[in-house]
Amino acid sequence: MLWFEMNGKDSDVVVSSRVRLARNLADYPFGDRLNEPSAKEIIEKVKGVFDGKDDYKFTDFASLDKISRSAEAARHKVSPEFAASDSPRALIESDSKNTYIMVLEEDHIRIQSVKPGFALEEALDAAFEADGMIDSALRVAYDEKLGYLTHCPTNLGTGMRASVMMFLPALTYAGGMRSLQNGLGKIGLTIRGMDGEGSNADGCLYQISNQVTLGTSEDEIVSKLSKIVENIEEQERTLRKKLKEDARFEDRVMRAYGTMLYATLIDTNELTKLYADVRLGVSLGLIENVTTRQLDEMLVCGMSGVLMSEAENVRTPAQRDRARADMIRKKLAK
Amino acid sequence: MLCEKCKKNEAVVFYKETVNGKTKSMALCEKCAREAEDAGEIKGMSGGFFEDTFAGVNSIFGSLFGLPQYHQKAIGETEKCTLCGATFDDLVREGKAGCPECYKTFSDELSGTIAKIHGTTSHTGNAPARFRAGREKKRQIASLEAELKEAVASEEYEKAAELRDRLKELKSDAEKDGE
Repeated sequence: MLWFEMNGKDSDVVVSSRVRLARNLADYPFGDRLNEPSAKEIIEKVKGVFDGKDDYKFTDFASLDKISRSAEAARHKVSPEFAASDSPRALIESDSKNTYIMVLEEDHIRIQSVKPGFALEEALDAAFEADGMIDSALRVAYDEKLGYLTHCPTNLGTGMRASVMMFLPALTYAGGMRSLQNGLGKIGLTIRGMDGEGSNADGCLYQISNQVTLGTSEDEIVSKLSKIVENIEEQERTLRKKLKEDARFEDRVMRAYGTMLYATLIDTNELTKLYADVRLGVSLGLIENVTTRQLDEMLVCGMSGVLMSEAENVRTPAQRDRARADMIRKKLAK
Repeated sequence: MLCEKCKKNEAVVFYKETVNGKTKSMALCEKCAREAEDAGEIKGMSGGFFEDTFAGVNSIFGSLFGLPQYHQKAIGETEKCTLCGATFDDLVREGKAGCPECYKTFSDELSGTIAKIHGTTSHTGNAPARFRAGREKKRQIASLEAELKEAVASEEYEKAAELRDRLKELKSDAEKDGE
């Protein structure tokens, strides 16, 4: 199952947790310096590592159409950059482990595991499992001093980016994001809006991740990030309690819920806004019978790429807005 | 404005960098800037990887101020990476390494930039299996050396002799692995 189809820990505040490991093969150049025959060789080598392993499925990603590719990016299996390029590339995925291995992204190999809710350690374990399989079969580029060697020097060392996608509506409405951003910057963490369509701030979704990859171990990165996430969770929950006392806020949540239930045309920007209000209403107990998991699934499935890949006759924006509203009603009826 | 170092020549290079909120700035003449680069004080200027940090320096060292010769020197000799053929100039322009081997070929040129990004140049995390045994031996050697020092300080010579023998053995093992 995909991360948004599963229940996760602390899902009132944490949507998903992701660990990415950048790896490269020692004897091949990076990026534009890699010619097509070598690129295909790398794909074959990495494919060979997972051949015969039932858990892992291989996809020649370059052969997929643009819509399917962008749908996979919306599902957070691959990066938007990986989805956009036409050059040789492959995806090796294990849905049961929530692990997605991009072959020939910026680095030769990018292993990522995306788990629902707050589960950085589980994501790290899953990424390490795939890393171990690759390491035992291929000569991965590594230097005793600099660690794993990567295309961009910002990823040297562990090659690891751990990130947590947080849902922070109360902090956003209270105007606390700027100071949070400044504070995180000082301790080597970064915060960004969620990738994808729609305005980032509207969905109140933020990705918090480590900046430094060298001189700190994988476990240290996870434990440092986890402590900060726990801290932010606490702040967000405290602020939410105050919001609940405001009658105008309750009205706003219920209006959003009403729109989800009855509107017939919804674009991605509106979905993102409705998502934030209703998700907050659910976590405060104002709306029952709806789960945060349902809403996360709705947000992913409402992205244009996913809508188009899952249904026919959604070519025009108007058709998509209708299909999106239909999908929302269906998910709520479940 | 006079050069801050020699206080004789006119300053033509205005170097500025901000690390962890602390800004260091220098106004230098061409000669002193060259010396400062050799001494590693303003090494980052040749690392165009992170243009926000070095943008000012690069533009000043570039053709804008008519210092093409200096620029030539700053971006290194025309040494080429044995695996991918990239020069250091290519790395600066592309902002990224050409291949894993580039980090070895241009290790001197890159170390300043890497230290600026990460605050260190020493990896402490996980390693591929083929490096793990060696790392474990190194760790053991370091811990035995510390024990030996302690034994000598507390005049436990018998223990020290024993430790020294174990160290010798481990070190020769580690050397063999390295070959």
